[in-house]
Amino acid sequence: MPTTTCTCGGKAVAKDVKDNIFLPKEAKIIRVEKTTEMERIFTLRLADESQMKFEPGQILEVGLMGYGEIPLGLASSPTRTNTFDIVVRSVGRVSQALNRLAQGDSLLVRGPLGKGFPLENLRGHDLLIIAGGIGLCPTRSLIQYTLDRRKEFQRFILFYGARDPQQQLFLADLSDWRKSKDVEYHETVDRGDPSWKGNVGVITTLFSKTKIDPGTRVVICGPPIMFKFVIRELEKLGVARQNIYLDLERRMKCGVGKCGHCQINDKYVCTDGPVFPFSEIEKLEEAI
Amino acid sequence: MSFHFIKEQDFAAFVADLIRAKTVIGPVAKTSRQQEKFVFAKLSGPEELRLDYDVTILPPKKEFFPPKQHLLLFDGARVSGCVEPVEKVLFGVHFYDVKALDMTDTLFREKNEDRNYLAHREAATIVISSIQKVSPRAFWASIGSEVKPRGHDAWLTKVAGGHVYEAVTAKGEALLKHGRFAQASQPQIAGARQANEEISKQCPEQLKGTSASNAKKVRAAFGVEELWTKFAQDCFSCGSCNTVCPTCYCFDVQDWWHIDQDSGGRTRTWDSCLTEDFAKISLGAGAQENFREERAERFRHRFMRKAAYLNEKLGGPACVGCGRCSAACTADIADPATVINSIPEA
Ligand SMILES: Cc1cc2nc3c(=O)[nH]c(=O)nc-3n(C[C@H](O)[C@H](O)[C@H](O)COP(=O)(O)OP(=O)(O)OC[C@H]3O[C@@H](n4cnc5c(N)ncnc54)[C@H](O)[C@@H]3O)c2cc1C
Ligand code: SF4
Ligand code: SF4
Ligand code: FES
Repeated sequence: MPTTTCTCGGKAVAKDVKDNIFLPKEAKIIRVEKTTEMERIFTLRLADESQMKFEPGQILEVGLMGYGEIPLGLASSPTRTNTFDIVVRSVGRVSQALNRLAQGDSLLVRGPLGKGFPLENLRGHDLLIIAGGIGLCPTRSLIQYTLDRRKEFQRFILFYGARDPQQQLFLADLSDWRKSKDVEYHETVDRGDPSWKGNVGVITTLFSKTKIDPGTRVVICGPPIMFKFVIRELEKLGVARQNIYLDLERRMKCGVGKCGHCQINDKYVCTDGPVFPFSEIEKLEEAI
Repeated sequence: MSFHFIKEQDFAAFVADLIRAKTVIGPVAKTSRQQEKFVFAKLSGPEELRLDYDVTILPPKKEFFPPKQHLLLFDGARVSGCVEPVEKVLFGVHFYDVKALDMTDTLFREKNEDRNYLAHREAATIVISSIQKVSPRAFWASIGSEVKPRGHDAWLTKVAGGHVYEAVTAKGEALLKHGRFAQASQPQIAGARQANEEISKQCPEQLKGTSASNAKKVRAAFGVEELWTKFAQDCFSCGSCNTVCPTCYCFDVQDWWHIDQDSGGRTRTWDSCLTEDFAKISLGAGAQENFREERAERFRHRFMRKAAYLNEKLGGPACVGCGRCSAACTADIADPATVINSIPEA
């Protein structure tokens, strides 16, 4: 081991390791797909071959030593095999380093962390998922889950909005969903191109394409600016605030409720969320 | 719990023996030229110990949660933790700092136990010393009085002719063998109690109201934008008020490499919610979002944390009235007593 001595007086030792909340596990990259210019989809398996046990909506801290760690949504359903997917958008130091990795390489994960989608409140009801941009990644976990356990839900509606057709993620999934009878799939892009035949406009324009029952359970995930507009539409439809769930994004460092970065008033996105019922956070002025 | 007494003339020998046996951290003058500014540092002799200090520049939390602390080290593909607790005696801590340590204990313990902090904390013996001189910005006598100091091992109080040593735990008891202690008499014990009561009347500042009433009015003022804008008008977003605070524990995490480019580590450093980038995120394609972009929002967040958000977990406010922030703030706008007193009742 390196001879570095901690400022705290410690050296690299195995002591207390099992309790160290910062110690990550190794995961192997089984497959990488370059899905857009900016994003890669990684299919991973824990190096010790154990199963990653998680719920849709939970997050992982994913990193590389020497670069850092970033929070990412788990993008596949726990109902599928012993692998799990993440999607990384190249944004800065860590995400760019991750996106240089190839099949067979390893990376480090910590988690699952946080609270996911409240499956018990979703089952038995109509479910509407509204995903904007990269918000499709964490919701894909719930989408797959719902499709795998389709009988447990009533109507299943999915709205997906991307900036332009080139930004669409999970193209294979999208083409399945377009054809599927199990999900009522509606999509839009902010800006079309000559080859685009679908809807053009912000995501709220999709509300005019279908009828939403007020008893529907709704899950929203997308850029911060999207929430307000989508919630306004849902209020008009009479959807109760406790049935609207938001998947929030905040700056994160520790992922375990210590560093303070993800705090919204007195809630921590990393441990109390990232999924919150709207009724729980509507009064928190810093939330949306 | 047992009360002991040591004569003034035997005190230096006690400290000297303790230093021979253990790593002892205590209040000392900052430099030989700055005799009236104090820091906690490792003692090499009893003459350095300045139990007449008013307040130290940084609080003693740095012994367990240092400004820079490695969380992981790596060498090639091997990654390991580096929690290696060092036994220490923190000697001469004021009771308000012990209250703050107890709060950080609670916060690092809750939900996910942070061994990087707790292992160091558990390896320490903490001896409170009575306050002999009050700092100019202190208001510890009027804040959170329902929260009693907890987690210390002994409490030393200067009285006529010597010191009363109250051993609170077995760890505190264990230090007795290093000095010539006798059993304390009833008048000596009463004298110690009186000394601690007397000094608390000398706090220059007073926070008005109760912890509950203050929590209520601070929370109720959340939406009163003008108020926070006014408070934060001269704020430099420097974060000094966070850095010197014994109850602040936010941190950043950064990786680094050795020059071999094969090994290195992951290290946490103190961070400040008052600084501009604290809640900023990158959204890709150059887009960013800052969830507390305005100075006033950040200033308000600090006050919400000090006076309201953590009260339920901690049993009182997350401020112990040490006055370090007021002293550290160039603009002199950080003083919790002044700010909270000027918020109208809800
Ligand atoms: C709950 C949650 C789920 C997420 N899911 C995904 C996902 O599935 N796919 C994906 O590509 N991205 C996701 N993100 C965003 C992703 O975490 C950021 O893009 C990433 O942290 C940027 O790090 P960087 O080092 O590359 O960028 P830099 O700009 O260099 O960021 C520096 C540091 O700031 C923090 N930070 C910066 N931006 C963000 C951000 N948007 N969110 C949180 N912390 C940030 C990180 O600690 C980061 O290391 C998610 C974020 C959250 C909070
Ligand atoms: S309140 Fe004072 S110390 Fe705190 S960030 Fe502002 S200027 Fe700096
Ligand atoms: S807020 Fe100021 S007075 Fe209160 S504990 Fe922190 S530094 Fe001390
Ligand atoms: S990410 Fe550190 S507290 Fe949530």
